[in-house]
Amino acid sequence: MPGATTERVLSEPQFAALVDALAADPERRKELVGLLREDHPHYRQRAAATIVRMRGWVLLAIARGEVADDALIFILEELDTGVDPYLVAAAARALRSVPRPTAALAPFVMRALGNIRYRDEPIAFENYGEYAVSPTGTSAVSELLVTLRWLGPHARGILPELEPLRAPNGGLPRKLRIDVERAVQAIRGPAPGDEHGTHSCCGTTSNGVKSISSWPSNSRRSTERIESITLQDHKGELITFKEFFQGQPSIVVFFYTRCDNPMKCSLTVAKLARVQKLLEAQGMVDRVHTAAITYDPAFDLPERLRIYGQDRGVRMDAGHRMLRVIEDNDVLRRHFELGVNFIESLVNRHRIEVYILDAEGRIAGSFERIHWDEGQVVTRAVEMLKEKECGSRIQA
Amino acid sequence: MAKKLKTAKRTAKKVSSRAAMSVATNVDKTAKQRVAAITSAPLAVVESDKDMQAMLAVLGNTDEPIAVRLAALQALQAASFSVVAFESGRGDYVATLRKVATDPDPELRQRVLGILMRDKDGFAQKKLLDGLKDPAKALVPPEKALQLLSYDVHTDAYEVARDIVKKPPNDDAKREALRLLAADAKAAPIFEKVLRDKKELRANRQIAAAALHSLDPGKLQQQARKILLDKSDYDDIRATSLVALQQFGDDEALGKDKALLKSVKGFSGGKTQAKYKQTARQFLSKYSP
Repeated sequence: MPGATTERVLSEPQFAALVDALAADPERRKELVGLLREDHPHYRQRAAATIVRMRGWVLLAIARGEVADDALIFILEELDTGVDPYLVAAAARALRSVPRPTAALAPFVMRALGNIRYRDEPIAFENYGEYAVSPTGTSAVSELLVTLRWLGPHARGILPELEPLRAPNGGLPRKLRIDVERAVQAIRGPAPGDEHGTHSCCGTTSNGVKSISSWPSNSRRSTERIESITLQDHKGELITFKEFFQGQPSIVVFFYTRCDNPMKCSLTVAKLARVQKLLEAQGMVDRVHTAAITYDPAFDLPERLRIYGQDRGVRMDAGHRMLRVIEDNDVLRRHFELGVNFIESLVNRHRIEVYILDAEGRIAGSFERIHWDEGQVVTRAVEMLKEKECGSRIQA
Repeated sequence: MAKKLKTAKRTAKKVSSRAAMSVATNVDKTAKQRVAAITSAPLAVVESDKDMQAMLAVLGNTDEPIAVRLAALQALQAASFSVVAFESGRGDYVATLRKVATDPDPELRQRVLGILMRDKDGFAQKKLLDGLKDPAKALVPPEKALQLLSYDVHTDAYEVARDIVKKPPNDDAKREALRLLAADAKAAPIFEKVLRDKKELRANRQIAAAALHSLDPGKLQQQARKILLDKSDYDDIRATSLVALQQFGDDEALGKDKALLKSVKGFSGGKTQAKYKQTARQFLSKYSP
């Protein structure tokens, strides 16, 4: 049948039943992680609030068993940038099913505490889609404090941030201050014998979770299908993918102006501005292009792109542009395997994603899901410049 | 001396807040007295957990007079803007709001749902959507539900809003459905149609013009020109079209558009209302050779 999808559209109760069935089957538990990908067909045409309920249920299902490495990045992502209390609470609970607590996890929990404490609300986990109407159950802050307690001495590094929350004027209600005290006591316990250090380099936590990927030159995806895609920039000028992205390395971020999570799109574009400053300081700003491409081209017209970039200090000129795709947005999306989904024309959920393109416009590296370091991104882009120069020397 | 004065003032304020809260929560006082007490010390709820819990109890108690409950809600809502000071009570506050969202009193329900929707609360969204899909479950009228749902562009109301535009239960619902759809770029054709339909309510046509400007300015320019060339269309709609062209149109193209200029000249005289004549004359002074 033309236009038919291979995925059956599930109602929410059906989705919940599927998740429960997968969780209960040891042979199929690993499929739960796939349900956390933003671009999964189950999330198409769903409201953001619906996706919160669905993803939360998946995280809770994952929490019922041992958390595998490929699931951990999703949990850390929610703790790192999540602003919905239900998801943050579910992620905090899921983290406690990681087989080996390490010090690298503590900063994520503490960051989540900072993100969520003024947005907290009562949470109910017993049934799918349930909303708490009584304050007597759990909450995001409560779950995070229990997780800090679970981390125990591995969380020593965040003790200076945690201890002030014990104070009566620290802001937390009395019942949660008791949880803070318990966490502090657990953290002050005897040091663990098997600690392997804190956050290691290259975007890998000491639990082995990778948020940074790179592809050697001989394995990079060809840009043939996207070269002729037309983009429009913040001034209304049209340019093809090939014209802008081939000839020099590029740093590309994805965003949209109606993102209501300040730790995702707004921060990503503000960080792009910092990347540009780093490039400038290194004398590279004319040799590496930067671009912010919107997920929402129908709404993010040139004027909106321009104002959004301007408000965040983004440099905008011939080599540095805010862009939207005019046609074939789906083709670009598939090429980058973007972590995004939609309800009608609106984004309903997306991840943080930054790409390094080589001088041929091919994806050479990516930084995904959790916060990325501007210096590391610039370093990777400069490596592409050196790769290009080496290639030119060889050809000569 | 100044320090003693400051301390004395703070103490007096605390005593006054405590006294106010004592009256506010006293069921033996009249509703009028209690409302006055609450409004005299609106931030008292963040000064102690006990006062916060007392005010939440008043809000959640259906036996309390509705005027007192509404005053309690107002005080709690005002206090919630002090995000840091309110932190310790926020969880209880949200739980109480959700409980009161299905209250027997319609005004209280509506206000509470409005507060929850400004926070993009999933519970409130679900209740409002359920009510739009099944009127037996509706907690507020459909136009109000649509208005509250539009606080979050990521909500799942677009399909039901389109159905309401096609088959509106009342004029207000259609108007709010159009407002909600203004967030959806795919809805531009709906707004073109509404803007050009002279049988459509003028308020809806104005909403359509604004929505089209946001979603597809080029289309608005095209439609604005057609409207201005149509002498039978309403003055206010033609004036809106004039403003759209003047502020956002292509100056060079407008200056060369003889048919348009002729039409605007006609609009600037005759039976056109004075305020719209002025708009037309401004346009002509800018673009006429």
